[in-house]
Amino acid sequence: MKTLNWILVLLWVLPGWLAGQSPNAEAFGVSVRTVTLNQKTPSAVLPADGSVAQTQASDLTVATLVTAQDAFATAAGAADGTQSDAFSSATLGTVSILNGLITADGVVAMASSASGNSNAEGSSLANLVVNGIQVSDPAPNTRLNLAGVGYVVLNEQIATSGGMTVNMIHVVLQQTVLGIKRTTGEIVVGSAASSVN
Amino acid sequence: MSRLKALAGVTATAVITLVGWSCDANRTAVAPPIGRPLLHYDVFACVPLKMTGGGRIDYPPGSAEKNPPASHEFETFGAHVMGSGQADANGTCLADKGALEWVDHRPEMRLNGSPLNLHATSITFAELATDTDCSEGAVHWGGRLRVQNTGQEELQFEVWDCDNGEPGAGHDGFGIRVWDPIDGIGLYEVTCFDPDLPPAEPSCTLTGGNRQFHPTH
Repeated sequence: MKTLNWILVLLWVLPGWLAGQSPNAEAFGVSVRTVTLNQKTPSAVLPADGSVAQTQASDLTVATLVTAQDAFATAAGAADGTQSDAFSSATLGTVSILNGLITADGVVAMASSASGNSNAEGSSLANLVVNGIQVSDPAPNTRLNLAGVGYVVLNEQIATSGGMTVNMIHVVLQQTVLGIKRTTGEIVVGSAASSVN
Repeated sequence: MSRLKALAGVTATAVITLVGWSCDANRTAVAPPIGRPLLHYDVFACVPLKMTGGGRIDYPPGSAEKNPPASHEFETFGAHVMGSGQADANGTCLADKGALEWVDHRPEMRLNGSPLNLHATSITFAELATDTDCSEGAVHWGGRLRVQNTGQEELQFEVWDCDNGEPGAGHDGFGIRVWDPIDGIGLYEVTCFDPDLPPAEPSCTLTGGNRQFHPTH
């Protein structure tokens, strides 16, 4: 009887759920968040009626923290029941973070979601150097400590409800205060998020 | 004996034709062979449709393998088209609306110091291709675009678009040709005419992203 009740509930909820699947997609080139700074540029968000959004920035400088060239952010997709889809990408050319502590010649963050499948295929990093050491094709969620700064997560892939977020270079800034490490800010270069809910 | 000679002659002719055609088909994608019909995207139906999403292509060669990242030999795009299912008096299958944002990251395609960036200003036609191997749907569409690097406008373009299931990477396809010369670059296209390259010539294989076909709009 309990099983039958659950089946009845599912049959009542499921059609509405499927018909109402909504896509979300967002991408940005650089985001810097500290106590004194909160900047995200360029960024693109999937329009409410679907279609495509793209923004770009040829030369980016965010305080003394990040410089980047040729940044593009793109979001696309459409709501269509079980065929809803969402796609986003952030591409950058030459990147320098924290006065050359981290550099790369190219960053591509890509996330797509459709039909219950989400992936980061198409994401890549070109000539990535972290603290003077070349890092080739880092595995998802590779974490490297940055002495005196904090740490960096490379090719960060985070599962979200109905999708995923990809941050190609995610620096977490930390300071030790009274013996306790505290996060004081973060820098993200190359971020793409997509989901269908 | 004369029958055997005739048969040999016919066979030889057939072999020469097949070899010549296969050499032609294996040519790296540049301009399409003039006068040769495509194996795909030759038969169309004018029906309501929609194709959405975006992706990445690593052209050349436009296969499922990504080029070395440091080469910057790749293209990215977002593309959206809605076909009306209505034809005009000339038989052109009209599009309701659409959008294309295309970026070519290849160093040799930089224009005015930036990657080549194409933005569609109007989408004029969209037709369903019924002769492809694209499992979900294939669309041939196009319109006019602007080169964002220079402001050059009213360039005609066409797209060969393919949804070949999920995930898009390694399965879906996209190809583009700009019919009018781009100032500073000339004739421009990213197309893959190798019939052995999935999913359907002349679309190139996606190395990231997804194309989503919708049979209605």
